Amino acid sequence: MSKKEQVFMVESGNELAALAASQINYHVMGYFPITPSTQIAEYLDELKAKGKNTVNMVPGDGEHGAAGICYGASTAGGRVLNATSANGLLYALEQLPVQSGTRFPMVLNVVNRTVSGPLDIKCDHSDIMMALNTGWLIIMGKDPQEVYDFNICAPRISEHSDIRLPIIVSSDGFFTSHQKRRVSIFKDEKVVQDFVGSFKYNYSSVDPKNPVTIGCYMNDPDLGNNHVQMAEVFDKAKKVIKDVFADYEKISGRKYDLVGKHKTEDAEVIIFAAGSSVETVITAVDNMREQGKKVGVVWPIAIRPFPKEEIAAALKNAKTIVALDRQDAYNGLGGNLSAEMKAALQEEGITTKVITRIYGLGGRELYIEEAEELFELGFKAIKDNVKKVDYYTVDAGKKEGKIPAGLKPMSFEMQDNGIKVEMGADEKLQVSGINLRNLTKQAKRFAPGHGACNGCGIFSGINTFMRGLKGHVVVLFHTGCGMVVSTGYPFTSHKGTYVHNLFQNGAATISGISEMFKERQRRGEIPADEQLTFLMVTGDGGADIGMGPIIGTANRNNNVIILEYDNEGYMNTGNQLSYSTPLGHATSTSHVGIAQQGKTFQHKDTAQILAGTHIPYIFTGVESQPVDLIKKAAKAQWYANNVGTVYGKILSACPLNWRSEDKMGTKILDAAVFCNFFPLYEVEKGITTLTLDPEKMNKKAPLADWFKMMGKTKHLLKSENKAILEASEKEIARRFKRLKAMSEHPDL
Amino acid sequence: MAILPKTDKYGLYEIRFESIGGLGANLAGKMLAEAGLKYLGLNVSSFSSYGSEKKGSPVKSFIRFAEPNTPIKVNSPVETPNILVVFHENLIKSMPVTLGCTEDTVIIVNSRKSPEELQDILKIPKGKIASIDATGIALEAKVKINGIILGAIAKAAGFITLEHINGIFEEIIGAKYPDLLKANINAIKKGYDELNLKEVALKKDYAFKPFVKADPALGYTNQIPGGIVPNPGNTVNKDLSAGRSGMIPVFHKDKCINCALCDVVCSDLCIVFKEENGQMFMKGVDYQFCKGCLKCVVICPKQALTEGVETEHDVKAMTVKLFSESDMAQNHK
Repeated sequence: MSKKEQVFMVESGNELAALAASQINYHVMGYFPITPSTQIAEYLDELKAKGKNTVNMVPGDGEHGAAGICYGASTAGGRVLNATSANGLLYALEQLPVQSGTRFPMVLNVVNRTVSGPLDIKCDHSDIMMALNTGWLIIMGKDPQEVYDFNICAPRISEHSDIRLPIIVSSDGFFTSHQKRRVSIFKDEKVVQDFVGSFKYNYSSVDPKNPVTIGCYMNDPDLGNNHVQMAEVFDKAKKVIKDVFADYEKISGRKYDLVGKHKTEDAEVIIFAAGSSVETVITAVDNMREQGKKVGVVWPIAIRPFPKEEIAAALKNAKTIVALDRQDAYNGLGGNLSAEMKAALQEEGITTKVITRIYGLGGRELYIEEAEELFELGFKAIKDNVKKVDYYTVDAGKKEGKIPAGLKPMSFEMQDNGIKVEMGADEKLQVSGINLRNLTKQAKRFAPGHGACNGCGIFSGINTFMRGLKGHVVVLFHTGCGMVVSTGYPFTSHKGTYVHNLFQNGAATISGISEMFKERQRRGEIPADEQLTFLMVTGDGGADIGMGPIIGTANRNNNVIILEYDNEGYMNTGNQLSYSTPLGHATSTSHVGIAQQGKTFQHKDTAQILAGTHIPYIFTGVESQPVDLIKKAAKAQWYANNVGTVYGKILSACPLNWRSEDKMGTKILDAAVFCNFFPLYEVEKGITTLTLDPEKMNKKAPLADWFKMMGKTKHLLKSENKAILEASEKEIARRFKRLKAMSEHPDL
Repeated sequence: MAILPKTDKYGLYEIRFESIGGLGANLAGKMLAEAGLKYLGLNVSSFSSYGSEKKGSPVKSFIRFAEPNTPIKVNSPVETPNILVVFHENLIKSMPVTLGCTEDTVIIVNSRKSPEELQDILKIPKGKIASIDATGIALEAKVKINGIILGAIAKAAGFITLEHINGIFEEIIGAKYPDLLKANINAIKKGYDELNLKEVALKKDYAFKPFVKADPALGYTNQIPGGIVPNPGNTVNKDLSAGRSGMIPVFHKDKCINCALCDVVCSDLCIVFKEENGQMFMKGVDYQFCKGCLKCVVICPKQALTEGVETEHDVKAMTVKLFSESDMAQNHK
């Protein structure tokens, strides 16, 4: 092997992970978007649309589903890629030991981000450290160049005949994933493909000539023995990684080892750190060396296998070691890395003092001066006693510090709407008294000052819906745009009570809230006449990943309203396709290019999925037909409070990602309704009624009228995409016809 | 021979953008860095401080240049920029945009005001201040402001030229949005030509403020455990006017039929209706929260709301407040 031609580029870690994957040309990528790793799937798709790779991109229904797709694909004899972060990794976590324990290689990029209760999307290592015990190999890159290089080395390590275990390539969210740097990449993808080699499998789930059982039921004594085999692999893995790195050096000129070191030979104080901060510490070392201070830095590149001997050897001559952990094991011995490092020293009989500092949580920067300060702390610790484990770069707050003042609570009366809801003789609810002008008197449940994009349809849509609700509403938002822009600490745009939970589990959580309310009311702890309405708000993303708990809630018939604002994509993470994205629409994971024309499958019909659960009330609505929507909201409240679960779906404009004019949102929604794409209807106790029939009004418009208003659909109006437009029209017509038939025949 | 006019102790020439999501600062940063690599062979880096991708929320972008063989060893935010660009004049009142600036910093502000007027708004004692009406040029050319800003930077920086900016625009924007290229190239040139750069006279009332990393009023001694916020609706303290891109809805009371459709469609919940003699009346807009999306203008059946250029109106005088002190409560004890 000889050094191969490389070119300079300015790219970020995510772009480079995608570029490496594109050059490798993986068979399958199963993925689900989560910040900050999402861009890997986006760029890979963008390159695919340009014809640069043929990776089969399979969007999961959540990270758990994505991990399942990857597992299945990896048993079927091909090369598999995934990428995730934070809560996504934890949601998939259960699948990781399955993948490793049954010994199917694959590559997972974990772009490190904090895992937390109050949601934080930025970097720390609290996610990746959860993966230590899953039986996966883990290597960590500290800069974009290493992300590229390690992504090329990873499949060779994972697929090596001595290994056959999956591998994680970890890098720091935003600091590495989003920082664009000058990097060297191989000009010719063939160089990468030759280096990686063709995929070889031992067993395949799609080889009928050689049937195999994958995943036996295996209790003692067999499972322990399975683990011994895995443990032996980790012993061998150090050599395999070193060998692959050595081969990679020959083609790239870049040298890597299990452990990185900088000026450690004579160092009195050594910082032990991992990830992107290492670069900052290296700069601090160089600065302090200029002042004659003997300092150095050691960082693990391989984390699993954990290079115990190499780390101990690199640290053994120091007088003090300052271990930096970007996560906490809460009352353990610091974070996981420093605890393992201390154990490694102990095994070698090294008694050097170790000071652990937990730093950089939730995305906090580490500055060069701070790294220098940490070295000074190490010097101090040579002579003096300093706290062994402590937090660094956190704030006490100021004496006068207060959460900014809010609004006085709204009374029940302020939230009244003057709308009358009564059960009619025909067993259907009758709603009267809706007047938009009078409704302006009702207090809004949202305060202005939220940070949604210009022309965003979320708050106008939900606010219009909430016009139909009387009195106090307890609102739960799934993670998503609506949540992020309305609750940036220490601010909230919610004027009533609001709860957030992650976006697969909101429906279950609002069920728990409403059940506790009922139980406390039954026990007399809450007055019997207290009236609360429970509203769960989700985007279409949360209705994908959270479909299971939504159906669970519907099956239990809990007294809650689930309201989906559908903006046809995962807008909070940057416009990836959702299952609700219509056929052919362009998103950041369904690009338009020579090899691909937007999304490849039809949109999900969430309302009809819920109709199958036989809950008392289901509806669709849009802000462009406000009276219709408010009427449905009033019915929703009555059914939720008196009967059981209600599901509502509103279409919501996203000018940013629909690439439409900010001001046109409401008109675009109407266009979606009048081309029959988004029929307005309700299913009340099983009986379907179209509440607006464009055909009856003689206002049925062509699909193209809607598509021409948005940048994401303009390509569908070109003659070469006629087939996609026709397929959309056909499916929309079929669904509408079916609804209309149901609307006309109460037995359907 | 050195390409960069001056560098710091790490060999870096640094640029900081103070912007808001949607104005294209992140892409502008990437293009500037790429131009540096492609045409000058410089070592470069660029990144942004954003998290979730929203228009209207503050974003900082950082660009670093080093000579071709100088490694970029600093990856934290730019503290003392050689060039500071403020993408929207309104950001100055809501954000401490000038932190870390020195008399050597060239401060470029997207504004119609003169450098001298800007000095008083920025509260900068002396140095080089430049103004460019990027919003005005962009509105006319129907492009984003980022190309205009890059044209202005080319003039201020010197080592990056107009040709470099044009070249990188042709490569990146030309590939993605070919129809927008010509308008952008014209706008970039205007950005270059119309930059009004002046060395302002010393004003002793003002002082440069050092860069501060983080200094929050809330911390582990006074945050409510669990991150609970007991002050409902406290985003009413925020000023979102910097989220507008030059246009506002203008209310004409005489034409209004109080149908409340504007209130239905308003994304920012800032249409003001008030009760008079038992009936609700449209009173106007609270521009503190209005991001200028103009949905209300499009929906209005009577042209009682029309599009207006913000700088041609006295927005402060037109504002009808939604809230007053008596609506507020402090529950964080």
